[in-house]
Amino acid sequence: MIALAAFRVAAYVRSHRVYQALLMILALLAIVHGSRAPRGLEVPALTDSAALIIPFLAWAARSLLDTEPDRQRELSATIAGGRRRELAAGLLAALAVCVTFDALALAWGVLLGVSATPQGAELAAVLALHVLAVLAGLALGALTSRAILPSPAVSIMALLGGFLVMLLVSASPLHWLSVPVTAWMRAASAGLLADRLPALGAASLAWCLIGLAAYAWLRRTRP
Amino acid sequence: MRAGLYRYITMRLSNVSFRYRRRDQSVIRDVNSQVSPGDVIELSGVNGAGKSTLLRLLAGLISPTTGTITGRPAVVGLAPDRFPIEQPFTVAGYLDHMARARGGARWQPWAERLTMNHLLDVRLGELSKGSAHKVGLAQALMAEPGLLLLDEPFAGLDADTRDALPPIVADLSARGVVVVASDHQGGLGVLPSVRHWSLRDGVLRETAQAAPALPESVTVEVTLPAGEVTTFVQRMRAEGYAARELTEESR
Repeated sequence: MIALAAFRVAAYVRSHRVYQALLMILALLAIVHGSRAPRGLEVPALTDSAALIIPFLAWAARSLLDTEPDRQRELSATIAGGRRRELAAGLLAALAVCVTFDALALAWGVLLGVSATPQGAELAAVLALHVLAVLAGLALGALTSRAILPSPAVSIMALLGGFLVMLLVSASPLHWLSVPVTAWMRAASAGLLADRLPALGAASLAWCLIGLAAYAWLRRTRP
Repeated sequence: MRAGLYRYITMRLSNVSFRYRRRDQSVIRDVNSQVSPGDVIELSGVNGAGKSTLLRLLAGLISPTTGTITGRPAVVGLAPDRFPIEQPFTVAGYLDHMARARGGARWQPWAERLTMNHLLDVRLGELSKGSAHKVGLAQALMAEPGLLLLDEPFAGLDADTRDALPPIVADLSARGVVVVASDHQGGLGVLPSVRHWSLRDGVLRETAQAAPALPESVTVEVTLPAGEVTTFVQRMRAEGYAARELTEESR
């Protein structure tokens, strides 16, 4: 499975699709961290980058999964010894790419985007949000990949629409009905992120896992 | 390409039907059959008859809508009718990746046997149809599969490789590998014992073997210990006889 995941990452890089997501993420980081956040606003700045990078991570995950031709996906399933292993290898490869991009975003934010590095519980909360951002991007990207949505137009609309719905729903009192990214940013601005993280993190993690489970379930009839 | 690696298990298809969507008609209808180790099966049928769907069912890529397929060998090789060349690798690079994914399989002997060594540095996107087909065959063969599924294996192949393929299939069969080939061209007809499956309107029929025209061929009965049947049948096949284990239905 590791070898198959490496094959998919290699195909993603060698096809140069990696640069599409990379360039957009670099542009995003240049805007979000264009000037260093003043002391005391480190956590909101790093939280904003965690929330705003989600659609770009989803784009990267979708792009990686779509690099492999449909027929090769079938061959990969026979090579891996089953559809489940092929599915897991694809998600593992997409996860590796999302983690890499998010690590770049976090490193950029800490080194160039803030005046001081958050400490203790605040740093842990920021790291947790970036992990959740990776999972949210992975789930959204997988659910909009070609195996699930064959039409590129529908797929990209679903990806952008999915993130917009995430933002709108999480800005409402029913924020727990989605990955509550707006609630992340509000809690960070109010200086309450560490306190509210358990509730926000649980809802976020639950929706990410539901998304990934839905992807696996839909793939049963979409080899 | 080592001999004696395969577990000899009979693969059974019981009441297998398949449809792509709930309201669609079944593409495959109520298929019952069994496949013994070493069987070579030529699958025929008009375009759209469901041959590729049946191969995908046999490979485990899709699950039957109803019915079951049991006894599928652990290692399956699938050579598609159209190899996906839209991938950013050279032939050798691609086969290296597939070999690692197969746990360290060796593709080099198959590249030589399929006369494709001159293609190793060529990018997949630059391959002709026949050359791409060879890559598909090599990735299917390298893993020493217990079940080898070939979708139109002779399409686009050069004359040398067309001639090389039936002996490869015969070798694999003698070692207990089940080979199922969807083939319009009857390329495996030169082998002494080939089962013929015909798909029509989703219904599978096993037609009489197009047996080689042996002069005064007769059918003999052999009594031997039950545990030696598989080995005996394989030995007879390797020697060129149309040997086949009798099933309960055919007795």
